[in-house]
Amino acid sequence: MNITMTRRAMVWFINTVALLAMACGGTKGGKPAAESGAAGTAGAMKVALLTPGPITDQSWNGGAYSGLMRIKDSLGAAVSHIQTKTPAEFEENFRQYGAQGYTMVIGHGFEFQDAAKRVGPEFPKTIYITTGGNSSGPNIAAMSFAFEDPSYLAGMAAAAVTKTGTVGCIGGTELPPVKSSFAAFTAGALSVNPKIKVVTAFIGNWDDASAGKEQALALIGRGADVIFQNADAAGLGVFQAAKEGKGIWVIGSNADQNNVAPSVTLGSVVIDVPHAFLVMAREVKGGNFQPRVVRLDTKTDVVRWVPNPATLQTIPAAMRARVDSVQQLMKAGTFVLPPAVQPTGAK
Amino acid sequence: MTDAIAPFFEATVRTATPLAFAALGELVAERAGVINIGLEGTIIAGAFGGLVAAGAAGVGVGFLGAVVAGMFVAAIFAFFVVTLRADHIITGTAISMLGVGATGTLYRIFFGTTGAALETPTLAPLPIPLLHSIPWIGEALFGQPPITYLLYVIVPCLAWWLRRTGAGLALRAVGERPEAASAAGISPARVRWAALLFCGAMGGLGGGTLVLAQVGTFNEGISAGRGFIAIAIVVLGRWSAVGVSGAALLFGAASALQYFAQAMGWGIPYQFALALPYVLTLIALAGAGERAAAPAALGARG
Repeated sequence: MNITMTRRAMVWFINTVALLAMACGGTKGGKPAAESGAAGTAGAMKVALLTPGPITDQSWNGGAYSGLMRIKDSLGAAVSHIQTKTPAEFEENFRQYGAQGYTMVIGHGFEFQDAAKRVGPEFPKTIYITTGGNSSGPNIAAMSFAFEDPSYLAGMAAAAVTKTGTVGCIGGTELPPVKSSFAAFTAGALSVNPKIKVVTAFIGNWDDASAGKEQALALIGRGADVIFQNADAAGLGVFQAAKEGKGIWVIGSNADQNNVAPSVTLGSVVIDVPHAFLVMAREVKGGNFQPRVVRLDTKTDVVRWVPNPATLQTIPAAMRARVDSVQQLMKAGTFVLPPAVQPTGAK
Repeated sequence: MTDAIAPFFEATVRTATPLAFAALGELVAERAGVINIGLEGTIIAGAFGGLVAAGAAGVGVGFLGAVVAGMFVAAIFAFFVVTLRADHIITGTAISMLGVGATGTLYRIFFGTTGAALETPTLAPLPIPLLHSIPWIGEALFGQPPITYLLYVIVPCLAWWLRRTGAGLALRAVGERPEAASAAGISPARVRWAALLFCGAMGGLGGGTLVLAQVGTFNEGISAGRGFIAIAIVVLGRWSAVGVSGAALLFGAASALQYFAQAMGWGIPYQFALALPYVLTLIALAGAGERAAAPAALGARG
């Protein structure tokens, strides 16, 4: 009997340790800040962030974490971060933060909007914001990134650089914003060279970097020499494939990835998530929150095409000028993307 | 079309390599009667250990680090399952979660939020003269990093050891009839500890291969379910070393096929392509018939 009890206790123990480790994996960096920040000081701003993947991806999730840190540094908010995977977890964590009286909770991705719609009405004092998505409510807003604009410009650059006439796109999963970004990339490439071939592939997840590399190698084997990747951590494998190949270029996405593999990166399709987060947090802090879908595009300078300074010469000067002029038109709001490209806001 | 054949086989072998390491380790554990669901945690620990050790002292030490990290996680599992006789499945699940969570946390402690750059030294391919110029399969089998060749040594040795040596017989006896083995003077606990440490070393090598021979960096969740696939591969390979390596190749081929199906631009919905390896595995499992080959005492406590 005693032995059985001990065994059970030990199994309990290891389960608990495992769960704690999982939790730490998700909140590292966020938790201590939440506790050291404005704990107890009534009325202080508390901001939470839910990311769908690890914040070390140097891409979508990493950018969001930088944004959270900027809110903490600039506005003195107490912050918390958690990494979540499943829709059930989205809701559960939205509820937890609501119950803890957080001022603002950000679900970083298109996939969070259903959870926000469900949980929002339960905690009217908490403002729920999803990045990507197209729904709003009394205390719910969505930030929609016009990721299509810089994707179009990246397509133009890719078409100017390719020697084989084939370029590729590799995504994590086929989320609507990723799909439309690839469509814009294709449209941009076709605007430069109507004969260009664009091959699109998906890895099926956002963290299998080995699969990302294999998918890139398969595309390279079929002649693709420029690959636009939007696969977060799994995308690191795409950069590695290019590094091992010859004359292969990668276009990064979400964050400025020009430093991930500077020698093979043509540029990055950047969402300035930190800036977008800060603008929204300021609005909330100042009591000026308006429930709406905020469209953040080239005009607001939240999305932009950032060529890699280290490899700038690869893109012919004439094309650089052409890309710049289109970007200027986008800034002025006079450039209209082809009808085939349906803007949905970033994932 | 034909120019895709050689790259297809290369992708097959590359994808199969980490799976084969992990599955051969699992094979030995299961032959000793322990089902190690914690393999996923072992693989990712190996990947992380490999990254840290390689960053400090080069690729060779990196693989050593992968082995040590894998064995460390396996030792935790062995302590609970063998020494404390805890439930295999529950403990294994906890170990998998622990591995994925703990490596994520350690990764952020060691490398901050920007992560490790793509600067980890990797093992370059070492083409074997003559053999690697065999058409279609030469590059795939003999143009790989040396770690792949280690498998070519391990598989026959392990097959021979399991079937033809006293120690191999003792291991199998523990997996079939632990009481009988015990009566014959073999300590099941000691055999299982050894089998699990071997499993940890192999799982660690699988993880090390991902980082040090393929991706050149670590990322959280890089094991991406390979531990669970390796467990299925053991079943598919009918608990024999040769069968397991064949099953790993089959899964590798199915994965390679889906990469190529997408790259060809055939317009197949990518979800179908992605499901392919799993559908094939299911069909193969269904066709494999009775579980007669499973060790009789597999998963039993004690």
